[in-house]
Formats: sequence, structure tokens, C-alpha cells
Amino acid sequence: MNRSIFPALPALILLFVFFLFPVVRMLGFSVEGGTFDWYAKALGEQLYLRVFWNTFEIALLVTFFCLLLGYPLGFLMATTTPFWATMGFIFVLLPLWTSVLVRTYAWMVLLGRNGVFNRTLIEAGVITDPIPMLHNFTGVLIGMVHVLLPYMVLPIYSAVRKVDPAIPAAAAGLGASSFAIFRRIYLPLTLNGIFAGSVLVFVLSLGFYITPALLGGGRVIIIAVLIEQQVREALNWPFAAALSAVLLAATFAVYALAQRYSQPVETTR
Amino acid sequence: MDIKRLHRRHALSLLGGAAAVGATGSAFAQAEPPKPAQLVVNHSGGSMGTAMRKAFFNGFEKKYGIKVVETSPVDFGKLRAMVDSGNVEWDLTEIGGQDAIRAGKANLLEKIDTKVVDRSKYPATAQNPYVFASSVYTTIMGFRNDVFKNGSQPKSWADWWDVKKFPGARSMRNHPTDNLEFALIADGVPKDKLYPIDFDRAFKKLDQIKPHVTVWWSTGQQPAQLLLDKEVVLATGWNGRFYDIIKKGAPVGIEWNEGALKQGSFAIPRGAKSPYWANKMLAELAVPQQQAVYASELGYPGLNLESLNFVDPKVKPFLPTAYLDQQFWVSDEWYAENGTKAAERWNAWMLKKG
Amino acid sequence: MSASGGSADLLIEGVGKRFGEVVALDHVSLKVAQGELLTILGPSGSGKTTLLKVVAGFETPDGGRVTVGGVEITALPPAKRDIGMVFQNYALFPHLSVAANVAFPLEMRNIAKPEIERRVAEALAMVELKGYEARLPRQLSGGQQQRVALARAIVFNPRLLLLDEPFGALDRKLRETMQLEVRRLQRRLGLTTIFITHDQEEALVLSDRIAVMNRGTIQQIATTTEIYERPANDFVADFVGESNIYHGTMSGPGTVTLDGGRTLTVRSDKPAGTKVGVLMRPERFASSGTNAFTGEVIESVYLGTSFKLRLACEGGLELLVRQPARGALPATATRVTVGIDPESIHVF
Repeated sequence: MNRSIFPALPALILLFVFFLFPVVRMLGFSVEGGTFDWYAKALGEQLYLRVFWNTFEIALLVTFFCLLLGYPLGFLMATTTPFWATMGFIFVLLPLWTSVLVRTYAWMVLLGRNGVFNRTLIEAGVITDPIPMLHNFTGVLIGMVHVLLPYMVLPIYSAVRKVDPAIPAAAAGLGASSFAIFRRIYLPLTLNGIFAGSVLVFVLSLGFYITPALLGGGRVIIIAVLIEQQVREALNWPFAAALSAVLLAATFAVYALAQRYSQPVETTR
Repeated sequence: MDIKRLHRRHALSLLGGAAAVGATGSAFAQAEPPKPAQLVVNHSGGSMGTAMRKAFFNGFEKKYGIKVVETSPVDFGKLRAMVDSGNVEWDLTEIGGQDAIRAGKANLLEKIDTKVVDRSKYPATAQNPYVFASSVYTTIMGFRNDVFKNGSQPKSWADWWDVKKFPGARSMRNHPTDNLEFALIADGVPKDKLYPIDFDRAFKKLDQIKPHVTVWWSTGQQPAQLLLDKEVVLATGWNGRFYDIIKKGAPVGIEWNEGALKQGSFAIPRGAKSPYWANKMLAELAVPQQQAVYASELGYPGLNLESLNFVDPKVKPFLPTAYLDQQFWVSDEWYAENGTKAAERWNAWMLKKG
Repeated sequence: MSASGGSADLLIEGVGKRFGEVVALDHVSLKVAQGELLTILGPSGSGKTTLLKVVAGFETPDGGRVTVGGVEITALPPAKRDIGMVFQNYALFPHLSVAANVAFPLEMRNIAKPEIERRVAEALAMVELKGYEARLPRQLSGGQQQRVALARAIVFNPRLLLLDEPFGALDRKLRETMQLEVRRLQRRLGLTTIFITHDQEEALVLSDRIAVMNRGTIQQIATTTEIYERPANDFVADFVGESNIYHGTMSGPGTVTLDGGRTLTVRSDKPAGTKVGVLMRPERFASSGTNAFTGEVIESVYLGTSFKLRLACEGGLELLVRQPARGALPATATRVTVGIDPESIHVF
């Protein structure tokens, strides 16, 4: 055995036992009896295709909004004073430390028909009927972005922190506007953080289950819900495994694609 | 359905294990087996756990000196995984009605020991050899009584569907069970002619109510919360959840008519470590006085028909067993066979625009 | 200001900057002539970097003015100042090639592509990096990175060039080569340049004039020889070069009585009774002279071209002496006599 991998052995064993082995088991389940019928069902029936598409659509939107909010936030936290950075961390991480039910209840208090937002807007005379912000697609997006934001902010924060402050200063001294500094310096230098954050958020979104069920009013069906139904209610594990395998394959495909197109730009003139 | 194929496979793979367990069981049949240090009971948790501890577990611990360890949540998939792998953590578990029937058929459960558990006072529907019916619950209408004053609430599913006469946002369960029956009743099917369910007719009727349902709920406390927050004015829900907020003074009422009755069930997983003591626990759950304590806490009465005699008269109006003839029993047997199909139809229907 | 303004003079007037309780700059004023290379020399914390940041626009002064070519730039953002700067660790853009790094300031000025290409090639030729266009900074040696930084700082024809301790990361030999190269380039382009360093030797090699800074104020601005031969005070005398510094009182025309009692003959017309400082550079001692000192060798070091001796003389005087390395190195504990002439003693 190569001596250099020896220190990593416990981790490799752990990965094998708790990740690789179950995945192989799962794949085994999905083709039980030597048939690909379950895959045919997963990929052939309109219901499941629609739900796969829904799932990816939500994951993409959540990733997009997390990036939109997370980049400025991570950037500010990385460049502000330690005090404000700490405050930022607390607020960003708070949702991760809160139970999903508390969080969901908080959203209901804020976003409900008689919630804080709607009441304030109605009392201010801005609207007459409550805006439906909960129990629909919007609610799911808001809830998921809230919970997943830390996974976007933290990699971006650390990527921005890694940029030597002299580099943007040098760019400014060489005549670059703030926008040019962002586009030509920060963006390419933090691309790894953006990529890492996006992949994390995207992949976690694919497996989201409780938040969509609670905030979506039941209308937003994603693949995790169907897999769960197959595992717990229908007890049809081969089909659940096939659905999971398709999801896994699609996730890998997205990951590979993203990685291919997110290599840092190395301009050569 | 392919469930059958699955069952066969499991029956084969479990044959060895089952035989071994059977042998151990008979060896202890004569004398009382030694007391384990603890008995693991898996249930839904929350207020139900609190009530079970008060009504049953404390007494059991005192009587036998065996510590009752509670786990949650109820998870059929986990039960199957435990039995399959031979590592059964639970001595006793709560289990959904149709799941219990399928689990019994799939050889995932131990038989109830009728010598230990006295079910002589139980109705015939509650004598399944693998399943102990611990309580009754019903899915009924909850309503804001400040919106529907002086008994002006919907009193039938036909009323519920009548959004002109009874306007307002509604919430229903995100699940085919109950809703298919409600739709058929609203469409004029008699309560005793619901099964086998006519999917097309039920979904066609459901199409009519879909735009008026703002929330399809997925957890038990949602309907009560939605009524409290006035997010909706009408919600189907489990009677105990409404009982809980009404006890605390919420402006919410219950309409019992045409409610969907189900039984709460407990079962002993095959290969449980202390099946004898699990049966002893079931015997405890069957004591009418204790069932009355439990019913007063949660509004879920036991099926020992004597237990109503021990309940506070003020609590009685909130117990589904007081309205048995107005309601109907959901067929666990039918769902055990057709649940998967129903779920697929439900999902497809939910994805439909509109 | 225009992008093609070319080199200009710099005027700093009464610039102050505090960070909380710390006074980083205390009414600093100085003037750099067009084409001049001025070194700001001082220990760390002396305020030299803050001064440079004020000039570059990265710090806003609490008071005072900065003027380039007669135009005040005190409130201008860095991007509008047309100042080329080489940072301590070069601050090259790690994701851009050498050519793209050098082209960056030109692109920011919306210069046409062919013109950019021409000027990048010219700048790279000037720093002798032809053929390295496509490399990334991390594929270059320290010296090469430094040249890229230099090319990037001069390619847009800035009004000023600022060098912030640019040689600190280089080894000694490379540093000396680069120093001379920068000096040559600066002269050739006639670039008004401010060079920051804490290394007095480097300051002497490179500068037209040196401004010695300490505790937020300029201690002395003068030519290199002036600074070395005739420092204005203890700090400058001590910071620049090796020195023997004593204090005393003028006791008559051309005589100083040191605080220890020893009397020296000097060239000074300061009136009697004036408190003065006396600087004797170690290399100005000979084997004999008007003022003779005899003492015991307490430390002797052979330095190749010279001997460095530490002598304990009468009256508590301790002298650092450098002598050409000729003959045998005097052993410790032996007695040695050295002398120094009045014109070699600086009185301040």
C-alpha cells in the first residue's frame, strides 16, 4: 500500500462504509430482479418527469437568489470590521441553529395573510387584499433561500478574505472604477467561492423536503417528497432507489457541467 | 401491485430469522421471561408522548420496575429497515392503520399475545392478530366560530364544497386518504358505499374545491395553527388537535358530522428484544381507566368500550366515540391494497394546473 | 488632470493624519521636483507608509493639501490620480497574464487595442521581460514579478511613481541589481518618484534626496551626502549609517567638551556654551589625527575589506572604529590608538 494515503485511511473507510456502500446498495435495489422497469417508470411517466423538472427549477432559482443576496453579504462581511463581520455571522448562521418548525412558524408570523407584512401594508393603505406570500411557490423560495443562504455566504466570504487587499487597491490606483474592480478583480478571484457555494446550495436544494412541504401549502411537489412516499408509505424501495439514482445522476451531471464552465479565467493576450 | 412480489421476497429472506425468533418465544412461553432494564416504545412524540407517559408509562414503570424509553417519530420505512437488518431497537411502536395491516401481511410484526392482552371488550374491527388498536381518532371539520357563528358552519361535505354559501379559505390534508371519501360523500355517495373508491369520480369532485384550498397541510398541527392565525376559516384536521386549542380558548369549533374515523395502532416489531414485556405494555394500554386519562388529555379515546364510563362528562362531547354513528370508518384494508395507486393519482392531480 | 499629463512635481503641505490617539502624520510638508527621486526613509511606524497612502489616495488626510503639477488632488479617488505604484508584495493580479497585468491600466483608460499592444510590448521590453507575455505571475521569479509590477506602474505614463519597499522580498544580490535598474529606468523616463524604505543603505544608493521620517514628522530632507555627513539630529545620525554620537558643550572656538570631560577640536563656529551633538563616523578614524584616542579593544571583527573595532577609551568613551583591513586583526584586550581630524567631526 502506498504510504501516503495511510493517514487518510480512517476517512476513506468512513466514506466507503457510510457513503459508497449505501449508494451501491441503493443502485442494487433499483435494478432488483435484473430489470430496469423502475427506471423506465421514473423517466417515462409524466408525473415523475414533471416533479424532477420542478425540483431542478426550484433548486436553480434558490441558487440564483442565494447568490444574488449572498455575494454582497459575504463580500461585506469579508471587508468590514471584525465587529460587523461577527454580527453578520450570527445573523447568517441563526437559521441553521433554529429548528425547522420554529423557523417555519416565524415565516408564518411574518408572511401570512394576517402576518406582519400584510397587516403593515394594509394598514399603510398600500394594498387592500393580503398578498399571498405563503403556501405557494414564493413561500418555498423565501424559506429555502433563508435556510441555505449560509452555505452561499460562507464560501464567498472565505474566497473574498483570501484576496490580498493590496490587489484591489492596486487596481484602483491603476484607474479601475469600483465596478471594474468587482468585474475584473474580485469576480474572477472569488469564482471558486461562488462555484462552491452554488453547488452546495443547489445540491442541498435538491434534497429539501420539510420546508417545501410546510411553506408550499402542499402545491409544490419535489422529488424528495415522492421518494419519501415510496420509502415510507408505499414501501416500494426499488422504485425509491431508482428515483434517487436518477436524482443523483442529474446532480453529478450538473456538478460536472458547472465545474467545466467555472474555471478561473486565465486571460492570455 | 408489485408489493406482492416484495412480500414474497421478504417472506423468503426472513424465514430463517423468523424461525429462530419463534423458537426463543416458545422457550419462554411457560415461565415469565426475565425483566429487561428498559422497554423502548416508539410513538409520534409531542403532546401524545406526554399523555402516554401520564396515562400509561408511569404506571408501568412503577408496577414492573422496567424503564420506558420513548423514541419518535413513527416511521414505517425505519421499521422495515430494522426488521430486515435484524437490529430491532423498538419493543413496541405506534403504526399507521393501513401500514399496520401491510406490516402484518409482510411479516414485519409479532402476533399480539391474547393471553396477556385482554381484548374481550373491543369491537370486532379491532381484533387484528398483529395490531393493537390503542385509540380512535377522526378527521373532521374545524372552523372559526367567530366567522361561522351560532351553528352556521358547514354541516356536511356537500356544505364544505358549497363555497357560495360557506365562503372563505379552506385547508385540507395533502393526502388522498380522507379527501377521496369526503369528495365522494359530497358528490352523493352513501357513507357505507365508499369502497372501493371511484378515483375518477372523487378527483373530478376534488377539482371543484381545489381553487378554494389555500393550504394542503402535511403535519398534524398545521390545521389548528392555520385556524388560529386566521390563515383559513375552515380546515379538516384530527380531532385531538382542535380539542387542544379549544381547551386553551381558541375561537374554533368542531363539526363531527361525516368525520373519517381511524384507529391509532400499536404493534410489536418482529425480532423485538422483549416481546413479552411489550405485550404487558399493551395490556396496560387496554385498561379502561387509563384510557380515560389519556382521552381527557388528548381527546383520543381508547377502543375499550368501557373507557367512556370513566371520562369526565365535560370531556365527552370532544371524543369521537360519542359520535360514532354520524361518522364512517376509513378502510385500512382498502388502502393497504390501493394506497400506492391513490398516492400516485393524488400527486398527479396536485401537479395539474388550476 | 489628463491621462497623458506626464511626469509632474509633487507638493505636500501640512498634511496630518491621526488614527485614534496615534498621530501618524504631524503636519508633514515636502516638495518633490519633476524628475526627482526622493526617498522617504524611516523605521516602521514612522508614518512613511501613511504618507504614501495619502499621496496615492488610499488614505484621506485630516488636514493639509497634496498637489501634483499645480493641481490639488487631496480629495481625488485613487483611480483618478494617474499615479503609478509598486506595492510591497507587488500586488500583481494573480489570474491575469503578464501582458494582461501590464495592459490593465491602459484598458481602464479606454485606450485602443493596437495602442495597448504596442505600449505593453514597449514596457515589457523596458523591464527586459520580452517573451514572458503569456505567463501567470505565479510562474515568475520574485525579480520577474517585480519587473512586471514596475512595467504595470509606468506603462500608462503616470504623473508620479510610488515605490513602497519594493525590494524587501528579494535576496541581496537581486536587490542590488533591481535597485540600479529602477534608478536607470527612472532617470531615463524622467519620472518623479517617491521611494519608501526602512533600509538606509538602499536609500543612499537610489536617491537624489532623502527625507528621514520619525514619529510622523520629517526629521531632515537633504541630499544623500548631506544626510550622511551632516545629519540634523541624533535620530538621523543614528539611523543613517554607523555612528559614534556624543553630547557636550562648546567650550571655546572650535572646541567641544563632551559630557564625560574629554575635549575635542572641531570645525564649528557655534558660540561657547551651546549644547551640541558630536558625530564621528567609524570609517573616518585613522591611525593618528588631531584628536587621538587610546583604548582597549573589547570587540574586533574581520569584515573582508575592513576591521571593525570597538574601543573602550578613557572618560567612559566607547568608540566604533572601522579601519582598512591591513596587517593583523588587533586582538581583544590589546591597546590601540586611533585619531580623527576636526573636519571629519560633525557638530550639530
